[in-house]
Amino acid sequence: MVKHLGVVGAGTMGSGIAQIAALAGIEVSLYDINATVLRQALEKLKTRLRSNVEQGVWTESDLNETIERLHPRTRLAELSHSDIVIEAVIEDLRIKKDLLRHLEADTKPTTILASTSSSLSITALASATRHPEKVLGVHFIGSPVNGGFVEIVAGEGTSAETIRYAQEFLNHLGKSSIVVHDAPGFVVHRLLNSFFGESLAIVGENIADHEQIDRIVKLAGSFEHGPFESMDEAGIDLCLQISETLFAQTMYDPRHRPHMLLKQMVDSGKLGNKSGAGFYSHVNAGK
Amino acid sequence: MKKQKWKSKPIQKRVPPKPAPQPTKPSVYIIGDRQIVEEVLPAFASADYSLHYRINSSSDRTVPSTHSSKGKQELVPENVTFALELSNLDLELKRRNLEFLDRSLNPSAVIISSSVAVSASEQSSWLGHKHRLVGCAALPWIIGRPLIEIAPTPFTTTGTVTAVQSFFRSIGKEIEIVQDRVGLVFPRLLCRVINETAYALQDEIAAPQDIDAAMKLGAGFPLGPIEWADRIGLDQVYAVLKALHTDLGQERYCMAPLLKQMALGGTWWHRTQVQTDERSEA
Repeated sequence: MVKHLGVVGAGTMGSGIAQIAALAGIEVSLYDINATVLRQALEKLKTRLRSNVEQGVWTESDLNETIERLHPRTRLAELSHSDIVIEAVIEDLRIKKDLLRHLEADTKPTTILASTSSSLSITALASATRHPEKVLGVHFIGSPVNGGFVEIVAGEGTSAETIRYAQEFLNHLGKSSIVVHDAPGFVVHRLLNSFFGESLAIVGENIADHEQIDRIVKLAGSFEHGPFESMDEAGIDLCLQISETLFAQTMYDPRHRPHMLLKQMVDSGKLGNKSGAGFYSHVNAGK
Repeated sequence: MKKQKWKSKPIQKRVPPKPAPQPTKPSVYIIGDRQIVEEVLPAFASADYSLHYRINSSSDRTVPSTHSSKGKQELVPENVTFALELSNLDLELKRRNLEFLDRSLNPSAVIISSSVAVSASEQSSWLGHKHRLVGCAALPWIIGRPLIEIAPTPFTTTGTVTAVQSFFRSIGKEIEIVQDRVGLVFPRLLCRVINETAYALQDEIAAPQDIDAAMKLGAGFPLGPIEWADRIGLDQVYAVLKALHTDLGQERYCMAPLLKQMALGGTWWHRTQVQTDERSEA
């Protein structure tokens, strides 16, 4: 049973994980190298929690207890008592390896080290540690606060015990999970890249336009959203990044080649909902 | 005064009024792979067509309902206005079916043919009356959805396209007109994802049920790709992927060896299990 969780990186992913863990009754140490980022993240997190009190989801006392379980940290050594530490820093192999090396040195011998990486090899990350059996990936699909699904990534050396521990922990957080082996794109990104890439190819070949494809996928495929709506929602830059990483990690397998339309969209600043324009116009979105 | 003898008038036979001649129902003729034909039939339940169908490799049948034509069971009734050719698995047989329809039907009749495994344009080269052919996205499961993709060829006349639109609307389906390419849109997308899933299974990245769960819970798929492959049939998926690889000539349509082996071996993930169980129970 996880009593103390350490989270490294107070961005959207890190603070989201800290939030759901604190709500689940776990003491959370949220670390960021930048004290300003950390302070702002905690403020945002408290605002999110407070809105739930205003909506009557929780009581004021739930809110106060949850906030008391969140501990801002600016020194890695302050995560030493954590049962599990989840890193959610920038997707850079060297930075993450350095971080895991330091975490292993600063935490107790039984601490599990988890990475939220969506694209880097867990086996490669674990190679920076002396105990790769304690290292695994926890790939949250979407926001940890709203999303309900996690890919637990087993590296070459990850032990069955470590995986079981992570499964129980995620279960406690109310997240469904599956175990995947360490492979480029894991499952969801790999298959979504095919789905999105093929949709882009169909547009590129002038077989149908993006609005037609979305309509077909929704009515003939029973999807709630079409692929172009989904790409706009996720961020076209993120889709391109996932595709480029997958392509490179599979040693340029043509099945995973990014479509040039994605690159053109990113180059022209059409990044989807967040930029106000993507495959669709989102100028009035959120107004 | 002479008593008039009462004489009964001869009883006039009441002749029922002649019924107004009923307009002949337009006939629809369907031929193709069993699963697709069987799944398209319910769409005609409330439509006013005289329905005739024939399943590949089986005897001719008419539908045992009010939609069936009485009397002589003709292969293709004279008044057929729409014919649906829904074969994907055996393209030689498909060609024979289309040539037969082209010979038998009135030249004004329209032929709507599945073009997921061979383009509608290529199919039209098999016909004398090229103007009457329109491609469509016909696969099991997909054929029962509320929208159908259609693909006119360069030879299809506007009149044929308009007639096909009206026809699908009359059986409650929306349509989307797309360019004529093998696989059209949704079958191509879906088969591509199923192929990638087969690679993931082959590489042992995750268990089949976990892949399905991941795509439903993590990617908003209404069905997992393996569930979909089971539902459609790997033989149909194989037919689409093979056509995509041949037609588009790109490496990204290279079929996963696992998928190929399972399809050619006549086996697929869950459905085989069900069928095997049924056989052993029998």
